[in-house]
Amino acid sequence: MKTIYICTDSITGIFSAVYEAWKDRRREGASGIAIQGSVEPELFCEYREILEKESKAEAVERMILGNLGQDVYHHIYYAALSRDDQKGEAILGTLLAARKIRQPRKIMEHLGNPSVEKVFELSRAVGNEAHLLTGFVRFQELENGILFADITPKNQVLTCLGAHFQERFPLENWMIRDKNRDMFVVHESGRRWVLVQEEDMEGRLDARLSRLSDQEEEMQKLWREFCNTISIKERENPKCQRTHLPLRYRPNMTEFVR
Amino acid sequence: MELQQSISIADKLKILTDAAKYDVACTSSGTQRSNDGTGIGSCAQAGICHSFSADGRCISLLKILFTNECIYDCKYCINRRSNDVPRASFTPDEICTLTMEFYRRNYIEGLFLSSGVLKSPDYTMDLIYAALYKLRTTYRFQGYIHVKAIPGTSQELLERLGFLADRMSVNLELPTAEGLRLLAPHKTRERILAPMRLVQNRMEENRQEIQLYRNAQRFVPAGQSTQMIIGATPETDFQIIHVAEALYKKFGLKRVFYSAFVHVNEDASLPARTGEGPPLLREHRLYQADFLLRYYQFQAGELLTEENPNFNIFLDPKCNWALRNLDVFPVEVNTARYELLLRVPGIGYKSAGRIVKARRYGKLDFGDLKKMGVVLKRALYFLTCSGKMMYPVKIEEDYITRNLLNVKERLPEGAGGMTFRQLSLFDDVRFGSAAEGGVI
Repeated sequence: MKTIYICTDSITGIFSAVYEAWKDRRREGASGIAIQGSVEPELFCEYREILEKESKAEAVERMILGNLGQDVYHHIYYAALSRDDQKGEAILGTLLAARKIRQPRKIMEHLGNPSVEKVFELSRAVGNEAHLLTGFVRFQELENGILFADITPKNQVLTCLGAHFQERFPLENWMIRDKNRDMFVVHESGRRWVLVQEEDMEGRLDARLSRLSDQEEEMQKLWREFCNTISIKERENPKCQRTHLPLRYRPNMTEFVR
Repeated sequence: MELQQSISIADKLKILTDAAKYDVACTSSGTQRSNDGTGIGSCAQAGICHSFSADGRCISLLKILFTNECIYDCKYCINRRSNDVPRASFTPDEICTLTMEFYRRNYIEGLFLSSGVLKSPDYTMDLIYAALYKLRTTYRFQGYIHVKAIPGTSQELLERLGFLADRMSVNLELPTAEGLRLLAPHKTRERILAPMRLVQNRMEENRQEIQLYRNAQRFVPAGQSTQMIIGATPETDFQIIHVAEALYKKFGLKRVFYSAFVHVNEDASLPARTGEGPPLLREHRLYQADFLLRYYQFQAGELLTEENPNFNIFLDPKCNWALRNLDVFPVEVNTARYELLLRVPGIGYKSAGRIVKARRYGKLDFGDLKKMGVVLKRALYFLTCSGKMMYPVKIEEDYITRNLLNVKERLPEGAGGMTFRQLSLFDDVRFGSAAEGGVI
């Protein structure tokens, strides 16, 4: 009978489930991973809920880094951030497939395998969205000098953005909110960024976030004016603009609101 | 004069952005730099686009002119001496403030600073140097800076500037020396190529310095680029891509940009207005050919010939080449060399790389290719997988051309013995003889 491990939708959760599946030494196809809240029950399956546990996740991380290398870990990590329900299954499938080939470090080149192909596809989609957002995030300066930005991404890309902006603004205090997931990445000048999940903050927070600094309005106006002016009228092409900058990003971008 | 002193920073930004918008390059690629922990900014190798303007071009850098006052009178340029347009100049401080405040809010990836010529090239470049120096030292700005070098600037000043900027570019303006004589009477080919050569040589020296001393300052780390106007003078595409190829080979340029000529001035020596707008499709074909030169190991001479000097409007240069060289096709995906895969229409350099890697682990079929990003609607005429083509298609120039031009995704005509056709009541369609004698 197939065993399906149900885990929470986080890196720790998925890696914990991988740990359990690995420990039970199931054959490929005889075990699977599903994400809590999006389980589609199948016949002839045994379901087992897994508690996420830091130590298990770390063991899996060490295992991947040690045996498969940094590159493969990067792909698997990004795939785990995807919003796709099948991601756990694909990750487990990839790890199992890696055991069977002679050079496991090159597993991501094995695109003929459906699980590997899926992980590759998911990782590419997450990477693309994260890359686009490194450009499309718009900070607003709050009264107290903190830079604040809202994003509404499809995938859970906050951790990717945290590293990027820490590199870029090491001396600024800044914060990015994932509105879809009520998660924040918070950075304090000179420190490391942290990921915070906070739901009840909402009401109080929104009021504080709307108090902007004196300069902010002026800068936003300058930027909007710049964006309007830089376009060449004879070349206008909204379709081309949409393919590069899809509409779903625009509600959070200074130059497209109002 | 009074008017100029009272002009606000918002008005200046509007005037000097409007004047800078015809500059093409807005890339922020080519440098990888981490922040040293004392300031603001970093650079990503691939570059980052921060927004896209209504014309679909990327906004990556704060693209402004230092001043739009100019002593030159180039016929195609909006800022030429004889035009009556509002004039303004930034101060170095204003440039620093704008760049820093925009950068902090993640509006931009850095600064693109070009300029009209105020008094003399050296005078203008000195002001630009002052602005960049302040930005790099006082504000500790470590983002991307692209600066235009004005031909005629002294060697010493250009060298100092190169250590502050990531990319430097000198505009070639027009593809040939005759064109330049006609439309930009104050500029000569020699004066434009001189600073380009200087930057190239200095970059070469810098490469050796870096090998010796790891912490040596980087000189123009993202290389240099140039741009030329397409369609203002009667050059053919053949001439243009030969010029581009020469620039890549002899001057080691990173990019050549093409700018479809936009009518902004009325002048007898400019081509007459046609009402069709700028030649955007031609510009697009040139960019496609440019990528073939840089990434796909094509030579300019293969793409066009003297007898056939312009690109086909309907087909991209790669398809065009493939159709004229049908003898090398079809290519077997599982065995063909990488260089040959690169030449197949519908296979890009990324998917070619993926194919070469993935086929070590097993035979590939058309389904696998699709997943790897190969554009099968173009590639299917030129490929076999394990000796089989995707559909029974003919390797024949007319047939393939006809199907490639059928832009909507659909099966090639006659594939699988089926054709698609809209049924109509008045069609005399024979639904196969088997059904005859039945109902009706």
